[in-house]
Amino acid sequence: MLKGKLGIIDLSKNKITIKQTSESLKKILYGGRGLNSYYLYKMIKPSIDPFSPENVLIFGTGFLTGTLVPNSSRFNVSAKSPETGILGDSNCGGYFAAEMKYAGFDRFIIIGKSKKPCYLYITDNKIEIKDARDYWGMDTTDVQQTLRRDLGHVEVACCGVAGENLVRFACVRTGVKNAAGRCGLGAVMGSKQLKAIAVKGTQGIQIEHPEEMLETVEQLKEYIMNSKITSILGTVGTPLLYEVSNTLGAIRTKNSQLNAWSESLNAEEIEKHVEKMISCSSCIVHCRHRNKLGGEGPEYTAVGLLGANIGIDDPCKVIELNNICNELGLDISSSGTILAWALELYERGIIDKKITEEELCFGNFELAKKLLYKISRRKGFGNILAESTKNIARFGEESKDYLIAIKNLPQSDPHDCRYIKAFALGIATSSRGADHLRSRPTLEIFLKLPQEVKEKIYGKGIPNDPTSYIAKEKTIYFSDNIFAMIDCLGICKFICHGFNSPHFVDYTWMKKLIHSASGWTVNENDLEMVGKRVIDIERMFNNREGISKKDDTLPKRYFDDPMPLNLSKGHHIDRKEFDKLLTNYYKIRGWTNDGKVKKERINELEALA
Amino acid sequence: MKYLYVYPEKCTGCRECSIACSLSKFGECNPKKAAITIVRDEFNRYEFPIICFQCEDPVCLKFCHQNAYQIKNGIVIRDKDKCIGCRLCATLCPYNSITSIDDEIIKCDLCEGDPKCVKYCSTGAIQYLDETEELEKRRKKMTEKFLEINKK
Repeated sequence: MLKGKLGIIDLSKNKITIKQTSESLKKILYGGRGLNSYYLYKMIKPSIDPFSPENVLIFGTGFLTGTLVPNSSRFNVSAKSPETGILGDSNCGGYFAAEMKYAGFDRFIIIGKSKKPCYLYITDNKIEIKDARDYWGMDTTDVQQTLRRDLGHVEVACCGVAGENLVRFACVRTGVKNAAGRCGLGAVMGSKQLKAIAVKGTQGIQIEHPEEMLETVEQLKEYIMNSKITSILGTVGTPLLYEVSNTLGAIRTKNSQLNAWSESLNAEEIEKHVEKMISCSSCIVHCRHRNKLGGEGPEYTAVGLLGANIGIDDPCKVIELNNICNELGLDISSSGTILAWALELYERGIIDKKITEEELCFGNFELAKKLLYKISRRKGFGNILAESTKNIARFGEESKDYLIAIKNLPQSDPHDCRYIKAFALGIATSSRGADHLRSRPTLEIFLKLPQEVKEKIYGKGIPNDPTSYIAKEKTIYFSDNIFAMIDCLGICKFICHGFNSPHFVDYTWMKKLIHSASGWTVNENDLEMVGKRVIDIERMFNNREGISKKDDTLPKRYFDDPMPLNLSKGHHIDRKEFDKLLTNYYKIRGWTNDGKVKKERINELEALA
Repeated sequence: MKYLYVYPEKCTGCRECSIACSLSKFGECNPKKAAITIVRDEFNRYEFPIICFQCEDPVCLKFCHQNAYQIKNGIVIRDKDKCIGCRLCATLCPYNSITSIDDEIIKCDLCEGDPKCVKYCSTGAIQYLDETEELEKRRKKMTEKFLEINKK
């Protein structure tokens, strides 16, 4: 269990170092996102250009990744983000991370820049830097299939054409649709001339107490399978969330000018285009669609952001755009948000044909398709859009008022956060910018959930009203910590306590699973402190890049424009209340009133080794 | 008699079956070191569990020059002590059901009537059922299909 290695690859010097992952560090941060963030903080000098050879790109598996533990397929890709200039980190499923483990590796740290296109070929305990000139320019499926033809059944993480061309929201892809999508990490691969990492391993992960793991997983499996949400996710996948948010009037529509869209994108409509539901490694939920249009997906994010947000209501067209993004290696969340932003700016006359080259309008599928291609090739207006949120400088200050982004990261969640206040606090404080997978307490959507259930999870004094600002800092504090811990373990958030269900993997389950795998005896509080540590380290990274309270804010529209439709009509975020919420949040985090990690805590965490 | 029956249309490719098999047999998590293998290719869009059919007239038994195989209560069992690890069985099995890795030969023994692959499958893609005429027909068809592919 604890024999996984750390491979350090210097592409400038063509040098490979293989080390043992330090056990003491594992005890403090476990793995995955936690250790990645630790190395980023230690290894990246402040203010470097994310596209420079000094940037550090990390592929790190979770502590339990590749084991029998349900949904333990995950890894995190991390680097300084070229899209935001702060911490870049993205969690991903599929089969790549388990294969890394089977090849004997916990983590790859990639530094420098290759002189020519290269890829890494990883076999049992061995790393080779190989020539990738033949693979450069290939779409993501093409390169993975070609590598399999050339090397046998490898699992591959790669960048697409978008990454090669340094599109600031290019993703890292593995399989047909799994992506470390956020923060432009595919472009960091491109900047290092690293097309792919291909892994093939035959070694097992040694388990400390095999019988105990078999028994614990058997019980956990039953517990998870008994939850209603598991079978729904396994049947229709995340698009189920579209209808929930849409009924509420909280689907970002046409760049959040509206908050509800067509029922034609409901899960039951999407389902008609699905051939089979499939899984990531070790997954018992199987929420991934193999669609009839040649790809996988769409997730709720694609349905919202490549559908409602750009004014498209035909599910086939949404699926096609989803498949195109995946092939080109573009992050769907940023793509849908940046396109919608440009469309509204054009309609408002803030930008015009001089830079867009043609008329822009919502609801135009052919236009969206063309723009995605142009972005990936950095052609014409695509070259401008490829700069993502950096375009505020080009489009002018007024354009910022219509941008749905925080800390320069376009919002991932298609959910309009003006109604549910905890969601708003979550995306405002998330360590990578506007993102829901850091802390979204989805349970807030289920309006009928009894107050006791919420209090049991998040603590006393949580009102059952999602529009109330009271005590919502506790909801986010809890979620942020436990999501960070689950990211350290390499388990999918879909079975994380408090994300979609009040009955999933909580600290007690984690404790049992960790014991069976490693023999370590830990308690629930120790584990919550791991998550807290990760959040603090990430905040230290961001503080060092100049992030403070001024940046923990929301898109202007969320404050100033009341929602126009459905149940959430009239709701918006009150600036004063939001400010109080932030102050309370900093207080339970132990940060300063300006949102900075305190000196003593910095010293304590910097001393970790 | 109970046997394993597979339903590829229900298989999601997760490999919990193989990982559980390797964990119970070797104390490690390794889908490649198991008596059940999921053949999958997300680009060509298939997932298929490869199991031992516990043949009535098994090639592994027939060609084993050490007589390491015998049929006990309808299950084809390999005697570890007799086996010299020549891997002929793994090479000859027309269904690729015998795994050979790390000097180990892994042959499904149905876990003494409590197959782990079935227990940890979350979709019913592998089932442990009393044989019926209908099930046997289906299984026979599957083996014939395999032989056909093997001939190509």
